[in-house]
Amino acid sequence: MDKKLNILLIEDDMIEVMKLNRTVSKLNLNHNIIEANNGEEALQILEHKDTLPDIILLDLNMPKINGLEFLSTLKADPVLKYLPTIILTTSNNQKDLLECYKIGVSGYVLKPLKYEDYVYKIERLLAYWSINELKQF
Amino acid sequence: MSKDYIEVLERALKREKAARKQAETILERKSAELFEAKQNLEKSYAKLEILLNRKDSQLQGVFENIVDAYVIMNLQGDILKMNQSAVELLGFNNANQDYNLLSMAHPNETERVIKSFKLLLNKGVLTNFHLNIITLKKESKLVHINASIIYDEGVAVAAQGIVRDITLDNKYQKQIEAEREKYSRIIANMNLGLIEVDKCGNILSVNQSFLQMSGYLKEDFLGKRSNTVFTSISSNKINLDNSSKPKEIKFKNKLGALKSWLVSSAPNYNLNGDFTGYIKVYLDITAIKKLESQKEKLLTKLKKSNEELEEYAHIISHDLKSPLRSINALVNWLKEDNIENLDPISVKNFNLIEDTLEKMEKLICDVLSYSSVSTTGQNKTYVNLNDIIQNLIKIIYKPNHISINILNNLPILYGEQTKFEQLFLNLIVNAIKFIDKEVGIININVQDLDKYYKFSVSDNGVGIDSKYHNKIFKIFHTLNKSKDSTGIGLSIVKKIVDLHNGNIWLESELNNGTTFYFTIRK
Repeated sequence: MDKKLNILLIEDDMIEVMKLNRTVSKLNLNHNIIEANNGEEALQILEHKDTLPDIILLDLNMPKINGLEFLSTLKADPVLKYLPTIILTTSNNQKDLLECYKIGVSGYVLKPLKYEDYVYKIERLLAYWSINELKQF
Repeated sequence: MSKDYIEVLERALKREKAARKQAETILERKSAELFEAKQNLEKSYAKLEILLNRKDSQLQGVFENIVDAYVIMNLQGDILKMNQSAVELLGFNNANQDYNLLSMAHPNETERVIKSFKLLLNKGVLTNFHLNIITLKKESKLVHINASIIYDEGVAVAAQGIVRDITLDNKYQKQIEAEREKYSRIIANMNLGLIEVDKCGNILSVNQSFLQMSGYLKEDFLGKRSNTVFTSISSNKINLDNSSKPKEIKFKNKLGALKSWLVSSAPNYNLNGDFTGYIKVYLDITAIKKLESQKEKLLTKLKKSNEELEEYAHIISHDLKSPLRSINALVNWLKEDNIENLDPISVKNFNLIEDTLEKMEKLICDVLSYSSVSTTGQNKTYVNLNDIIQNLIKIIYKPNHISINILNNLPILYGEQTKFEQLFLNLIVNAIKFIDKEVGIININVQDLDKYYKFSVSDNGVGIDSKYHNKIFKIFHTLNKSKDSTGIGLSIVKKIVDLHNGNIWLESELNNGTTFYFTIRK
């Protein structure tokens, strides 16, 4: 009954990418992960309007275009602004959090230290989004 | 005798008779006239006498009723006559006392008196003569004298004078003079520039300070219209209205330096209350303005560097935490993938790596929160400490054998909620950490002092040796090496107390427990 999600992960840290992949496979989830190492790469991927992801997981601290800049670009786009974007970050800076919600995010998840805690959070996050109704592109 | 001769004689006699008769008639008539004339004379004399009497009593009345003292003296200065005012002024008992007026002069005045008396004798008058006298009642008085000589058929016989007591007038005059001098000294020496303008705005006077402030000379201002002269010499437009509200103007002084002046105007009135112009007071606030702008710049800079610092702390903590997270994941995977091949010691070592990572992360978090304590947030509100502590008790990890009691109703404080939370959280967590008894008790109390609240958080834990009491508030100082002690908690507590202008101290006995006290300004 749960939907199979196309997830765009925008993350510059290789091990973080490995973590998500390992978590998804460990939990035997059927989701598809698209990787982008930074905002620029992500925008290139999002140019293909026929293969848009269902949700975006976005890291805030990235080289080149940082997370907030990417988010602003996304929300200014008439099509892409409907993509639910969940922040996945280490920053518990209130300023960042408020700014993200102001621009418009669908979630703000802190990366925990322990891998088990990470698995726990990702499992719930993906479960939630796989039962959500999303815009049909 | 011849008949002719007789006839002649008879005729002559007849003529003589007739002539005498005529003479008698004339005499009679004349004497009647004379009588009449005498009568008339007597009548007019009586009239004259009445007239004279009337004038005399009129004069007497004037003499007696005149407000000023009136004295008649002979040419030696002996008093001949004086009125009641003179009696009072000169301190006599009655108007009939004999006295030489010249001896009433103050000893210092003798010479002047002699000179003036001579002048009076020569010229016949003496006017506007001021003299210090000592009256018979030994009072010193300053009098004003107008005197003149009385002549009888061209010969000087006496002198009359009007004497007025001007002691008080003089005193007032002197007081006014002194006041005036005082004010002129103040005006001259005060640090305020002052100019006086007439109704049309023409400058009437400027004080020394104003000249110093402007660098110009008196001549540059006097007689000129204030509006135009200011604008022209300062070469920037200066609007000078006359509102009494102080107002700031920019003035370029003679050296070309731009000065900030605060000017206020007050209307000026003459004795009759007619409006005559304005008095304008100038205060040079250039230095104050400069300090103000320096202060503003510093504040902006401080705010910016504070923000940068907080930003920096966040970035650092992010950059430090990320590798820890990665190591944790990698260790976890190594363990997970090889769990069958690992001996128990290796598993234990892997766990130790994870513990160390955890401690490292806590350290980073604490450093971050310590550095953000001093950054003042904008979210100041009235915070009910009872609510805060009830919430804290719900969320913190507390073993069942420990109870937390609030002994007194806690106050409502104005400030940032998160700071108060951090403050009590750290103290309570600290207390929990060091309780080693089977029944742990943590008591929170407050005392309402005049300007402060004095709070206390006490536990019945291990206690702290007094030699450490000063050290424990220092950052990174920890008495127990343990996984969850970073040595930052009490530093945060102290920093928050400092922020609220309070003090923190403790009383402790080894093995019996510790009480932390702190004050927070109301």
